[in-house]
Amino acid sequence: MPPELVLTARGLVKRFPAPAGPPIEVLAGVDLAVRRGELVVIEGPSGSGKSTLLNVLGLLEDADAGEICFGEHCVSALGRVAKGRERGRWLGFVFQSFLLLPTLTALDNVLLGARYTTGVDAERRRRAMELLERFGVAERRDHHPAQLSGGEQQRVAFCRAVLNDPPLLLADEPTGNLDDVNGGVILESLRDRARAGGAVIVVSHRPDAALGADTVFTLSGGSLRAR
Amino acid sequence: MAERIVRFIEGGDRFVLGQISVAGRGMGMGAGFTAGGLLPAAAIEAIRKVDGVSVVQPQVMLPLNPSTSQFMTLTQELVLGMDLSVPSPNRHYRMLPVQDGRFLRQGDRRKAVVGASFATSRGLRPGSRLELEGQPYEVVGVLERMLTAPDRFVIVSIEDARDQWVSKDRLLRTVLASGGVALRAQDLNTGAAVGWRETDDPDVVARRIRERVAGVNVQLPSELSSLLRQSTAFFSALLVGLGLLAFVIGGLSLANTVAAAVFERIRDFGVKRALGATDWQLGREILGEALAVTLSGGAVGVVLALALGLGIDGWARRSGQQLFLFSPRLLGGALVFSLLLGAAAAAYAAVRIVRLSPAEAIRRGSAA
Repeated sequence: MPPELVLTARGLVKRFPAPAGPPIEVLAGVDLAVRRGELVVIEGPSGSGKSTLLNVLGLLEDADAGEICFGEHCVSALGRVAKGRERGRWLGFVFQSFLLLPTLTALDNVLLGARYTTGVDAERRRRAMELLERFGVAERRDHHPAQLSGGEQQRVAFCRAVLNDPPLLLADEPTGNLDDVNGGVILESLRDRARAGGAVIVVSHRPDAALGADTVFTLSGGSLRAR
Repeated sequence: MAERIVRFIEGGDRFVLGQISVAGRGMGMGAGFTAGGLLPAAAIEAIRKVDGVSVVQPQVMLPLNPSTSQFMTLTQELVLGMDLSVPSPNRHYRMLPVQDGRFLRQGDRRKAVVGASFATSRGLRPGSRLELEGQPYEVVGVLERMLTAPDRFVIVSIEDARDQWVSKDRLLRTVLASGGVALRAQDLNTGAAVGWRETDDPDVVARRIRERVAGVNVQLPSELSSLLRQSTAFFSALLVGLGLLAFVIGGLSLANTVAAAVFERIRDFGVKRALGATDWQLGREILGEALAVTLSGGAVGVVLALALGLGIDGWARRSGQQLFLFSPRLLGGALVFSLLLGAAAAAYAAVRIVRLSPAEAIRRGSAA
């Protein structure tokens, strides 16, 4: 029996208005299913809509058509507030530009998601410290993002994404602003996440991102094709 | 400053609504609310007999310095002579409040009670000497600051005021010296304050006096109140308008600062929503920050205004003036106003932000 489905996307369509002429269709009916423990890598040229797809799958942006379900629970028709709750329950994000809050310390950045979902208790703090330890940035816990290197910032961002142990992790060009060594650390962490039973979708340019992936898709012309 | 003018009008209003003011018909030396001609003793006796009248206090009210420049001022310095054998008919001021010393007693001669501004401008206190029309007076009391006309009064017995009147008014002196008119000392009144019985309507009693006593000008309390308001309406409206304008400009800059501070962090709010923050959580957060900013901004503004206003008043007090009044309602109102504007700005910014998708908020914030 195959592992349970974490994400099912059917017929996703996303259009953006053009300065002149008809809207640009970035996603033209995308179907995707991701199971527990699966690492999915999505490749494609710049401007092909990879980030848009990730935003739509992560409920950061609404699709113009199509349906998204987390497990058995379909969320496309939910209102803004309910979608916010589902994001907090199901998803973790790793962004290319880290998106740490500049006024918070590394530890507080890791705890940020918990602040809005589960609440910050002693157990969360202990787990946040454990994650910072595991990713080699524990001694930087009281530093602000401006005092951290790019690699350190992305490791902190990774800790933030997995603190609540979300069933699905979405990573948008997570190595885009990192050198090879730090990029390698992040990619390995994503693979570890999948090996530990989490579902992971990675959008990346790096050829080595696909190493160890269960499925590699190419997004082109608004559709996904398995490589 | 607008608050100060408003208090001035309120004080005057309270005074004129507490009594019926009667003056002799025609023109004479009488000033203030007794402006008009002579009000002889016979007229005062006739007023006493009018149905509804409870008490009549003859008064002499004169300009302290009858020069053009003094007549031009809004707050003229006046000498008020009161018949101390009669209790004050004014319902709102049975006794003018004394800050230091005592009020006049029946039989006091060459004694004066002075208003707070008058005392400050001349450095007077109980025991000080004051010269009026060449006669020395002892200051026996200083009134509390009332922020209205009595602040610039010199109150003496009616007998002393009559002496000053004769001394000031050359025409009156000539008439008296000629012996052509039969005038006794008690005929020298510029007006009278009239009280009414508890069960009567003051305007009805005033109309009755007007009908039954010849040769008098009777001011209906409600009419006088309306006249007082009309005469100060322009300044009052101007200052209230300026005050409101300052409120709105200051308030809008505060609101703009709050909204700009929120929009500046649009990317952070996008990230927070991506991590599961709901609209309510963000709204509460933005509102809390905005209220903290506006409350502290409002408090700093109030402290600065107090410091500046009190500094200017300290300087103006040397000439017996008080330009500003920082009443609790004004200070409280300023703080509440800034809080409301801050809350409105925060609500506007919060609604704008949560209407954006998290992806759009992050995009806009990253592009800025």
